[in-house]
Formats: sequence, C-alpha cells, structure tokens
Amino acid sequence: MASYDVMPDVQLFQPASIDDALNLAERYGRDGWILGGGQDTYGWLKDRAKQPKAMIDLNGIESLRGIRQRDDGVEIGATTTLREIMRDETINADYELLALAAGRVASPQIRNAGTLGGNLVQDARCWYYRRGLACYRAGGNICYADSPEGMNREHCVFGASRCVAVSPSDTATAMVALDATMVVQSVDGERQLPAARFFKGPDTHITQMTALRPGEVLTAVRLPSSWAGSRFYFEKVADRNVWDFALVSIAVALKIDDGIVSDSRIVCGGVACTPHRLRHVEKALAGKAPGAETAELLAPLASEGAKPLNYNHFKLPLLENLLRRALRA
Amino acid sequence: MNNYKHIGKDFVPPDIVGKVTGKAKYAEDFRADGMVFARLYTSPMAHGRVIGIDTSALEGMQGIVGILTADDVPAMEAPNAAILTNLPVYIGDPILAVAAEDEKTAEDAIARIKVHIEPLPFTVDPLDSLVEGGPNAREEGNVFARSSEGSGFRTIKWSAEQIADFRAGKEPTGEWVHEWGYGDLEKGFADASVVVEEPFVTIGYAHMSMEPRTAMAYWQNGSCYVYGSAQSQSFWIPGLARLLGVEQKDVVLISENTGGGFGSKIGAYPIAALPGWFSKKIGRPVQLRITREQEYYIGSARVGFQGWIKMGFATNGRITAADVFIVEDIGPNATGGDGSSAGGAISLVYDPGAMRFRGVPVLTNTTPRGAQRGPGQNQIAAVMAPLMDKAARQLNIDRLEIRRINAVNNDTTVYEEQEPVTSAYMKEALDKGADMFGWTGKSKRPKRDGNKVIGLGIGQGYHSAGATGFDGLVRITPDGVIHLHSGVGNLGTYSYAVTTRAAAEVLKCDWEDCVIERGTTEANLPWSSYQAGSVSIFTHTRANYVAAMDAVEKMKQIAAESLGGAASDYDIDGKQVFNVRNPRQAMSYGAIAARAIQLGGPYSGAVYPDDIHEITKRSVQNLAGSGLIGVAKDNLEQKGVIPGLACAFVEIELDLETGKYEILDYVGVAECGTVVHPQGVAAQMKGGAVWGMGMAATERHVYDPQNGLPANVGYHQCGIPTYLDTPLHVRTAAVDLPDPQNPFGARGIGEPAMGCSVAALMSAISDALDGHVFGRTPVSPDMIINHVAGREQSFEPLQTNNY
Amino acid sequence: MEIVTYKEDVWGREVILGVSWDLLWLAIVVPFVLIALHAVYHAIRKGSGRPSSSGERVSRHDRIDRLFHWIMAVSVFALLITGIFPIIGLNFSWLTLHWVAGIVLTVVVAFHIVRSLFWQDLKSMWIAPSDLKELTDAAHKPGKYSLAQKSMHAAVAVLTLLVVASGLVLFALIDTPWWERSNALSEDTLGLVFLLHGLSTLALIALICLHVYFGLRPEKLFYLRSMVSGWISRDELSANHDPKRWAPEKSA
Repeated sequence: MASYDVMPDVQLFQPASIDDALNLAERYGRDGWILGGGQDTYGWLKDRAKQPKAMIDLNGIESLRGIRQRDDGVEIGATTTLREIMRDETINADYELLALAAGRVASPQIRNAGTLGGNLVQDARCWYYRRGLACYRAGGNICYADSPEGMNREHCVFGASRCVAVSPSDTATAMVALDATMVVQSVDGERQLPAARFFKGPDTHITQMTALRPGEVLTAVRLPSSWAGSRFYFEKVADRNVWDFALVSIAVALKIDDGIVSDSRIVCGGVACTPHRLRHVEKALAGKAPGAETAELLAPLASEGAKPLNYNHFKLPLLENLLRRALRA
Repeated sequence: MNNYKHIGKDFVPPDIVGKVTGKAKYAEDFRADGMVFARLYTSPMAHGRVIGIDTSALEGMQGIVGILTADDVPAMEAPNAAILTNLPVYIGDPILAVAAEDEKTAEDAIARIKVHIEPLPFTVDPLDSLVEGGPNAREEGNVFARSSEGSGFRTIKWSAEQIADFRAGKEPTGEWVHEWGYGDLEKGFADASVVVEEPFVTIGYAHMSMEPRTAMAYWQNGSCYVYGSAQSQSFWIPGLARLLGVEQKDVVLISENTGGGFGSKIGAYPIAALPGWFSKKIGRPVQLRITREQEYYIGSARVGFQGWIKMGFATNGRITAADVFIVEDIGPNATGGDGSSAGGAISLVYDPGAMRFRGVPVLTNTTPRGAQRGPGQNQIAAVMAPLMDKAARQLNIDRLEIRRINAVNNDTTVYEEQEPVTSAYMKEALDKGADMFGWTGKSKRPKRDGNKVIGLGIGQGYHSAGATGFDGLVRITPDGVIHLHSGVGNLGTYSYAVTTRAAAEVLKCDWEDCVIERGTTEANLPWSSYQAGSVSIFTHTRANYVAAMDAVEKMKQIAAESLGGAASDYDIDGKQVFNVRNPRQAMSYGAIAARAIQLGGPYSGAVYPDDIHEITKRSVQNLAGSGLIGVAKDNLEQKGVIPGLACAFVEIELDLETGKYEILDYVGVAECGTVVHPQGVAAQMKGGAVWGMGMAATERHVYDPQNGLPANVGYHQCGIPTYLDTPLHVRTAAVDLPDPQNPFGARGIGEPAMGCSVAALMSAISDALDGHVFGRTPVSPDMIINHVAGREQSFEPLQTNNY
Repeated sequence: MEIVTYKEDVWGREVILGVSWDLLWLAIVVPFVLIALHAVYHAIRKGSGRPSSSGERVSRHDRIDRLFHWIMAVSVFALLITGIFPIIGLNFSWLTLHWVAGIVLTVVVAFHIVRSLFWQDLKSMWIAPSDLKELTDAAHKPGKYSLAQKSMHAAVAVLTLLVVASGLVLFALIDTPWWERSNALSEDTLGLVFLLHGLSTLALIALICLHVYFGLRPEKLFYLRSMVSGWISRDELSANHDPKRWAPEKSA
C-alpha cells in the first residue's frame, strides 16, 4: 500500500474572469477540480484518492469575492472567506446565524483560507471514504461504515441510502435555515436553486453531495431579506472545540410576532447526509411561544424517525437537547 | 533557597534560536550529494504472508534507482519488528522500499508494484483473541510473555463464559502469565470496611510525535552515517550498529533536533536502519521520508488495558489491599510492559497494605505498541482516581484527605520487594496544590446550575525518575572554553542542556564560557541514558557532576604540580584555579588546559578510567591531547526507587446536555526534588497537563474489527486536544525539596506531569456525575450524553480500540 | 471495450466491481440492428397473406397466465427504469422502488414456476430435437409454441432467474424494513454477484427489445392480442400451428 503524500501532476489554471473559469470547467468536466481555499483539496490529491487532470483556481476572479447588498437581501461571492463572513457587519446585523456558523468552522487558520463555496460543497467526512476505499460514495458497490462491525459513531441517523456519511458543512445548515438561493453558473448560463434542493442525499446522488453537475460552478449565495433579523440560534457540538466536525449541530431561525412563533426554520447538521430540516417540529412550533415549556414539549420530536447505527445512538438525545436549548434560548 | 549559580535558574538553551527562526535541522532537512528518495510499500492487510512481488510494471520507468525487500535486510526473530517483512502483522507494516531520483517517481513506482499477500487471521481487540476460537494475531500464538526467566509465545484461551464474566465486571478467572504481590491479600480485604471493585478500559493511542521517523543514510570510509529522528543519542548506537550489522565504531548518528519521541524513539528502531541498507545496496545516499500517515502505522501507540481492580479500605481511609488484573494490548511486536508498571504505580502512589498484580499480554494486529509517557503508570492513574473518590464517598472522608492518608512518603516501601524510596513528598505536593487551588473553598460551593455541573478532581502521577551508571565527559581547551559533551540527545525538553549545567555548576564557570558538544556522535559524546522514563535530570546531573568533579580534581593536581603545594591546597572559581591560602597563586582554566596537554596521561585523556563505556572511551581517545579531560562513570551511591511525583487539581464545568466540559481551573504540582530548570518543569507540567486532557477526552484509536483498518491516520482523526479544549492558564508549582541521592537533589518529572492530569480529569468527571465511574479512558461526549440520558453505551463492555 | 470493471477491495486487492455499463449501448444497438435486418428481410420476402382473426376463437392463454405475463412485464420495466436510469444520469430515489419491483418479480416468477410445474403442460415449452425442423421445413408447424417462442422463453427464463437470484443476494445486503445490511459476502464474491446481475440485465434488455419487436410485428400481432385477451382465431391457429400437436379448447 502506497502512502503517497506527494502532489501528483495536475494542471493548474488561474483564470481571471468567470467566463474563462466556466469554459475551463466545461472543458474538463468531471476531470476538473474547482479550487477555492483548498482546504478540502490537497488532502484528496496528495492521497491520490481523487485524480483530477486540472485544477481551476477561482481565487483570481474578483467578482466571486465579497458581500454585496441587493434589493431583496445580500449576495455572498463563493470565494469569500469564512473569516470575512464572520466579521462582516451586514451579516452580523441581519444574518447572524451565518456568522455564528462560519465562526464554528474548523480553526482560525482554516477559516482564513477556507471559502464559503468550499465549505458548502465539501465532500463527505466518512473515514472509510476518506481512506480512499472504493465504497458506494467512491463509485464502488459496498459501504464499510454501515455494517455490523462498522465504526460509525460520526455517521448519520436520518436519510441513509446505502451510504451513511453525513453532511460535514457547518454553513450548509445556516443556508437552509435562511432559505438561501444558490447561484450556479456554467457555460450554458445561470441557474438558481434553493439551498434545500442544492444539497443531495445518497438516495439520488450517492457519489456527490450537491446538485452541481460537471462543468457547473457555485458562484454565489443569496440570502433573502425575508429571514433577515429573525431570532437566530446556532450550536455545534463536536468532540473538539477547534478543528472538528459536528457530531450534531443546529441552526434555527424564528420569526416571532408578539412573543409567538409565526414561522421557523430548524435545520440540523451531523445527523443526515444533507442538512436535516425538522419540518414537523417547525409545524408544531407555529403559534407557540418559545421558552422552556415549548422546548420540553417539542424536544422529543427532534429524533422521531431516526435510525441509529452501531455507535451513534447518542445523536438522538443530543439532537433533542440541542433543540431544547435552541427553543429555550 | 540554595545559592547555586546555574541550578534552579532559567537560561536560554542554545538550540532555541534555531527553533524560533526555523533554522533548526531535523532529519528530513539534511541532504547529501547524489541523494535519492526512498518510499515504503506497506501492508494493506492486518496480517498476511507475502507470496509474490511483481515489479514488472516498473520496467522502463525513468528515475527508479532501486528496490529493497525483506530479502535484502536481516530477518528479525518474531515477535520483534522487522526492517522489512514478508509476514506483515499490522496494516502499515513495511514490506518493501523503492528509491528514485524524486519522491513522486518513487510513489508512482510503489503504486504500480503488485504485492500478492495471502490473508491470515487477525484481531484488533485482545478479548476477541483471548476467547476460545478467537483468532491469534501471530501464527506462533496470541500471547507473548517477556520475563527475565525467558520469553516466549503462548496460546492462551479463555472460555466464552470467562470472557463474558470479565466483561460483566467480575474477577477474571482465565489464565494469566505474570503475577507478583506482597502482603496478605486476604487479610487485607478482611480488614477492609469498604471494598470497591470495577472493570476498566484504557485505550492506547498514538505517540503523535510531530516529527515522523524520517532517516537518511550513506556510507563513507566503511562507516554508516545516519541522520535520524532520535529520542536519545549515544544510547542509539549499540542498537543501530546491530540493525546495520556493523560495529559500534562504524556508526555515526546525526540528530541535532528531534520533534518529539514520547517513548517511541528511545532506542534505534528498525526503520531507521533501512536507508543504511538501501544505501549499501545502491551506493548512493538514501533518504526515507516517513509520511504522517505512515508515522501513525509504524510510530507506535500506548499499550491498551482491559482490566479489573478491587481495593479494600480501612475505616480511616488507608488502603488495606489492592488486587489488579490487566489484559494488555501489546500490539503485534509484543512491546510494552505497561501492566506490571501499572501495578508498581499502585504500590507506590497508594501504598496498599497488601497487593497482587496479575497480567496477560495479548498480541493484536494493531499499530505496534511502545512505551508512551508514563507507560502503565498513567493509564492506572486514570483508573485509580475515581475509585479513590468512590471509596472516600463511601467512607465519608474528604477526597483530598483519603489521598493524603495514603500518600507516598520517605518511609514508604514499594513494589514486590518492598524497596525503599530515595525520598517522596506527595503529602506536601497535595497540600501545596490544595492551597493554590482552593480545594476547601471550592468543595463547599454549589455544584449545579441548570444543565451545568461543576466537577472537582484530584489526580496523582508517578514514574520512577532516575538511572545510574552512565558517563559524563567535560573538556577544557587552552582557549578557556568549557566543552560539555552531551550524549543525551535533543528531543525537545532541553534536558540535554539542562543536565550539562550540573557540570557548569561544579566548574563554577559562566554559562557563556560553555559550549555544549552534541548533535552528532562525531562530536565525541559520552555514553548516555535512553532519555526516557523521566530519567534525564537525575541521571545526567549525576553523570555531569562526576565528570566535572574529575576535571576539578585534575585541575587542582595540575595547579599543584605547576605552582607547588598539594592539590588539596587549591580551589576553583572565576575560571581560575587558586591556592586557598594565597589566591594570587592561580592559573586560568586555559593555562591549566594547556598544561594538561603537556602532561598527558589522565589529564589530556590519553589515559582514562577502565569502567567507562566503550563509546565514551572512543570519544576520549579522539579528544585526547586537545585539552583537560574530565571523564567518569556515575558510580555514586544509589539505593531504592527514585520517584518522580506530581499531583493535579482540576475544576470542570460539565454540560449535561452536550456531554462536553470546560476546564475552569487547573493546578499541577511537581514533586521532583530540587527544581533544576524552573521553565523546564513548568513546561513539563503544562505539556503533561495537555497530554492528560487528550487522554481523558479526545485522543482516539479506532480500528474496524471486520477489516482490521485503523481510522486514525492523521492529526485530525487522532483528536489531539486543541487550544480551546484546554484551559487558557495552567497553574504549576513544585515542592522543591531535595532528594538525597542526587548531588543537586533533582529527580525527573516528565511522565507524572501527565498522569496527574488525566487522573484529575477522570476524578472531576466522576464528581460532576454524582460519582459515576465510567471505568474507561477516554470519556467522550457520547458516553456522557448516553449516561445522562439513561441509555446503554454503544460499545460492548470492555471493548477497546473503539474511540 | 471492457465487459467487466474492477476496483480495489478494502485490502487493496483487485476485485470485480461489476459489469461495465458502457455495454448498455451494445445491449440496445445489437438488437436494433437485428430488428432492422429482420424487418428488411421480411419486407423483401413478402410473406403470404395473413390469416383471418374472425370466426371461431380458441383459447391460447388463461387469464391467470396473462395476468402473470403483464405483472412480470410491468415489474421488469420498473426494474429496468429504476436500475438503469440512475446509471445514465437520471437521478432519483430509486433503490426502494427497485427492490419492491424486484420482490414483485420474484413472487410472480415463483408463482409461474410452480404453476408450470404442476398445473401446466411443461412439455409445450420444452425444446425437442424435432422442433429444429421448423428452421428448414416451412411446412413443419409447431405445437402451442414455435421454436422461436420456446427459445425466447428459455433465454428469458434463464436470464430472469439469474437476475432474480443475483438480485435477491444483493437485496439481502441492503437495509430493509426486515433486516439490517451486512457485509457478509467477501468483496470478490460481491463483485461477481454484481457482474451477474449486470450482465443478465444487459442481456435481458437486448432480449426484451427483440421480444417487443416480434410482439409488434404485423404477422405476429395476434399473439400480442392473445396475451391481452386470451384467444386466437381458428384461422390463425391452423396457419401457424399443427393442430395435431396443439389442440386448444374453444374460447369462451
């Protein structure tokens, strides 16, 4: 068994315009690797677990960076770093949920380099898959994690379909909670997807985490004004407080009129292959006042329908607890 | 307060600048003309037999320089680790190496080579092997017992019922191989008013040295020059010579800086000899860079424990009896004697009236195990702390008090032979710590606030901390410079420099006049210790002391010979040897050195003591005639066990809803005799505290039992604690009472600094959870969540290598 | 072109991953070439006039057998759509639909086997040496089933059994409401099962193309009708079958 740990030969393109980048993405298709902050890139390449022919570096494209006001909200360029988002005044004022989520990603070093786009499209964190094994997610015909002796403490409790990896992104839950629109471009033009439809589970997309097709690039994210200034709650529980992925996380947005919840978005990370929205809890929450009583009443609903694996049933009480805390806050 | 010039004072070790500026050179930084790069093909299987190696795909590949297989290197007798093997016993066991003009070509070649391996049965959990019908990790057996009466493989199986009973927390009834004890155990338990009995697991995990064990080697004039990553320096030579099949005089080890060893680089390890063999085969210098992933395979891990313990306590809190049984996970190479050391630690730290240790070391096909910071002592420290608390609660004694009552002191006798200790002040350490921490006040505060619970913990750490019989070597040259030859090696603790200050102290010279000769065995180093087991301070302050005393004596003799009178008329100070009665009758150190060269004999090193080590003798021969030589073997008296002790107090705030806790306060107190280097002791206490926090909570060692796959082959997956998992401030102090068996009163501290930390955290977690004993390290958030939610834990009782 | 794809197993050994789905186009193109050739050949040859469908009707397929055929057809198409579409890039949540359809197919196939063994004339579908005369002697007419029909049935039967058997093995290895998945099969055996499942699927696709084509051929359309409504006319019977070898009852 080789250990590699040396970069393979790969062509590096550093386009200065989005059109050039899209042309390259089109030309290389599945053999092209879109490079943002590189935080989920070099490991794959050095391990040779992924073997793209070309890297298309988006960092030289000015239009992909920064946070812009729009009539109906804000737009965040895909290569805006997580640190920039954490520190941005508008985001903190209107969409604090995203600032909180971005602030809990990995470590300061990674947040300085890592981009929003990269954080959203990052690949699954199953250790078997990351080892380079030919599992379902890697195009194989087997799952090593979901087997009678599989070590799957970090894996999913909802929405498994052959693959049991979880969505590792901290900002993805916030995107779904904020009802963000993902702006996707290719040489054929632009399409926009609601965040909830951008993230894909293994039942439909077992070898990819998102709806991005070969040749497509996530160029921006738009946060609608409809959820701006809502009451937000974000919490992530990980084994370590820095440089770790969520065991369970929760992103909550509540619209409150006269002390009563009129609308809500409750989205969990670390429990499913995609950001996991607790729709039944949202429904049950409507018309209620947030607080300890409501929290106790609704918390048990959070884990309804969960199917734990060998080593992860702790995620059920943890999920309930996080919902409890979110509604109590 | 002593009035030492150097001892007990902080200083700037000479390698600091290089480390801060990045100029310090590690093994990987060295290059040689014509050097090629070697990479390893390692076993993808946990246990197998190589039945064919097909390298035909390399034909015509540009840049390939050579291939080295197990047939090119000496075979090692099982279960010892091989340089390369055709019988891999763990995933990552090196099978062959390819050398190429650059690393990428070498890796490309490795990827093309087809190695056909026949899979053999494997196991990643000792209990799975110990149960009847379970697989053996090696074909020779599943147990390897090392003892002075003879070592060998055994096949030991327990019935399924015996395993099930053990898992259920009952006293193990299966066969064991090691046993020792003292006192009347039955009477001890009969006298007890409280008996606590618990099963326990401590998962072994990687040493996590920041520098992987890279090595480069070439041959020159019949000598093999090895640039390696070594925890010790002179001590490596005999082993390295053996691995390379040459005489000790024909090996040069260059190791200027080492990025951590923690027990995993004590002596020469087999892979360090690979570049030498490869270089011999292809006639070019070879660097073998070990990748981070490979370091996790071959870099070794702590021995894991699955055990059972029963302790009896008298009404006054004294421990009347302790009975411990440990199944040790000794990996595939039967490395580690942690079980018995754990028993020894119980005997010393808690001083039970009677005691029995039983153990069975079981082979597994996991990463090779090795001594890791407090091997045995620190695992059992974690096990013991919550049990002491449990007994204290049942006896209604304060948790601090029960530790004071049982604290090791100058009169304690320890181990099977009930030997004395050189000195021990655990009670003083506990008192100092309790005072700094504010134990009494904190104990009285309310514990619970909503879902947050405060937990207070006390931990005690121990490791024997000294060795004797090593050599010291100092040299004064005619320019007046004092050369302090240090063969200790530089693994990052600065002990190599700290211990030479003993010689500077004796020579009463300024530190600026001293040069430490080190970094390569060509610098003519004395025979030195293994720089492990917390021995360096005790051992090498002694060795440097005797060498410096030899130099002082010789200087006085030379002065008497030159200026008249007897040697006893002279004393030293201010870089001068002077007549006590007439201080103006004096010679400078430089003049003395010049005279020593003229006089020859023992003064110049032409003659040297018989009892010094072969390595020291060769160094003296090389140095002879270059100045005044002070050289001696440490024959100072030494009797009894030399304890390195520490205690820690910790306050945590545990969140019952998330299973996470924050460390609010940490106080660590070292009991290591006289403090020689205050910054060094503080750094050890802080570093040890962080290590303990990792062992208690975050550090992982996960194996997939179906495929034998390790999950933890990178920094991230291994879960070393980060800056937000540790407190901002770790407060440390030292008892600072001298040990009578060291000329400066010093004992070691490296290992107990960690044991007290993990123990204090286990104690605090238990305290926060109303005395619940998990009986397991690490305690991960999921365990706490499940416990609080009243759910079963997801692992099987006593399961190991699962977190 | 590759037939088999390979991967490395958990210990880095090369094992079969499954069939190369590049073969899919072959499984479609080959039958269509054959269909085109056959259609051209028939157009040139110009067959004799078609028998009348009016007049007395005789029974060809019992209701239960027709039901079986169409349930089987629906389940096979469901299986093909759920199995093949995701491979060609049409993503949807297919796995549950696939195994549910697979269970339906398994049940009806089992039903058919039992029924044909104990309640039907097994010999009517058996290929005998004498049937080969149909190839050379246009006057030699078959019993209930022609040699072509028997051959098609035999091929479909073998392939369906293979695809069902391999499918059941794979079914045992996924999570279902009744059991949890396991990695009970070694990866090389698993690869063989996937290969068998894939190969038999591809062959079935080819055969189904041919079967549909022949079912829709103008001169054979009455067979399709008989599979819908159960009967053929006396004229169709005597034009295509030897009444001595197959004397069906009058249809109700």
